[in-house]
Amino acid sequence: MTRYTGFSHLLASQAAAQPHAPAILYEKAGAKSLMTRRELLFAAQKRAAELCGKRAIFVLCDGSLENVVTVFGAVLAGVRVILADAGAQEDTLCALLEYTRADCLYCEDEELAEILTPHLDPGAPGGAGELLFFTSGTTDRNKAVVLTDASLCASAWNGSALLPLQQEDTLMCMLPLCHVFGFVCSLLWPLVCGAAVALGRGPRHYGDDCAFFEPTALSAVPLLAGFLIKHRCLNPALRLVLIGAGDCPPQLISALEAQGIFVSFGYGLTETSSGVALSLGEDKYAMTVCPEADITLAQDGEILIKAPTCMMQGYWQRPEDTAAAVTEGTLHTGDLGRWDEKGLLHITGRKKELLVLSDGTKLFLPEYEPPIRAALGTEEAAVIVRDGAPVLVIKDCGRTKAEILAALGPLMARESRARQIKDVITVAENLPRTATGKIQRWAIQQKVSAL
Amino acid sequence: MTRAEILETTRQVIYNSVPELEGTELNEDTVINTDAAIDSMGFTLVICRLEAKFDIRIPNRQWQRLRTLGDVVDAIETRLPK
Repeated sequence: MTRYTGFSHLLASQAAAQPHAPAILYEKAGAKSLMTRRELLFAAQKRAAELCGKRAIFVLCDGSLENVVTVFGAVLAGVRVILADAGAQEDTLCALLEYTRADCLYCEDEELAEILTPHLDPGAPGGAGELLFFTSGTTDRNKAVVLTDASLCASAWNGSALLPLQQEDTLMCMLPLCHVFGFVCSLLWPLVCGAAVALGRGPRHYGDDCAFFEPTALSAVPLLAGFLIKHRCLNPALRLVLIGAGDCPPQLISALEAQGIFVSFGYGLTETSSGVALSLGEDKYAMTVCPEADITLAQDGEILIKAPTCMMQGYWQRPEDTAAAVTEGTLHTGDLGRWDEKGLLHITGRKKELLVLSDGTKLFLPEYEPPIRAALGTEEAAVIVRDGAPVLVIKDCGRTKAEILAALGPLMARESRARQIKDVITVAENLPRTATGKIQRWAIQQKVSAL
Repeated sequence: MTRAEILETTRQVIYNSVPELEGTELNEDTVINTDAAIDSMGFTLVICRLEAKFDIRIPNRQWQRLRTLGDVVDAIETRLPK
């Protein structure tokens, strides 16, 4: 399999090798349409010409063909690309745009474009080959990870080396392209393998996209995979599902396997341009390290990653944060792991005060919990994850669940749906803590599981 | 269509989309995420079915603002022809 050095190399090589092979399937006027590899290259080159002279583009990712062509075209033109969630609130997007600075915009929503345009900056800095992904690693939305088309291609190759797709395959792309797992594992992975990408039609078509495009492979976060199973939305031709960006419950894996689908579970971070380990065998929690990644465990079990070809350039305009996360080329992930007797990696927990929800959303607790405690007027409150959603555990303070939720109402209204507290569990005693007063979340989790 | 009729239709769509909620009381103050325990994917399904039912379109970026059932009814009501 060819190792592509960047988007230009990828698109040009694929177009030269098999110009008429399908690259992208998409919906047009209710019918399935196809863009060949040559057409994709030409479309990206045309977009690059249109963007000539621009320095940075703020892309509202809607998952459309135009979205994909714009990202490829911008990189070909040497324009820095900032990928943002088209579904985010206007004020959030304005803040992100001001922070990352762009002099042009891709936004299909005219009303939103009108709101964002005044925040464009004609003096925005460039950055050929740079793509910025906002990490959900903290609630601080202004933290962007700088990757490159080279690191993203390297990451796609890294995964493909372990789990290749065939040229006959079609991978269903339903994940947002503003998340690195979506970008690499549902767009670049199939393209690097010479397979086709079927561009999903957005949330309104989660239920029927698989029937419409008839993919053979799918990348999904656990929540999406669970939804597709529950509502029987998976098509018979589907043979492979890659799950990532969140803890995957065993019953989900069993349900997919019961339909004859091979399931692979991936581990990676935005900082490593997506996956660095994948499960390939029967045990979906035992992962093989990708060839370009070197993983070691620190004394306390923290997963340390060296992956020079896939590693981020740093956090946008945050050199201190970058230096804290990456020392001498090694990323300190904050995740805990262990090796099994076969030399396979298992994720055992998190060192960082970070919770991962079933849709891949992350909660950085040092920022998430204090306002909750302040709103409730107690320090005896902590957040854990149950069934993939955030749940508040609180010492009995004489208030009912409804009263607690009402007190949190204004706070939760500012959070995205996935990040809103889903349930409240009242306990009689103080929350378990270490000698230094830190909450022992594992003990709370254990206690709650036993209830 | 009256507000009460919109609310009743919305309730039925939720019960059909999330059958485990059958029998749970849903009113305008019900917080979708917590009281009704509808996750984000379930919410997407409900909104899409409501859009089809009422022949309206609620822009995706408005979805995050729909916290209670009353918010959903508001969003539908303002988009229905007067």
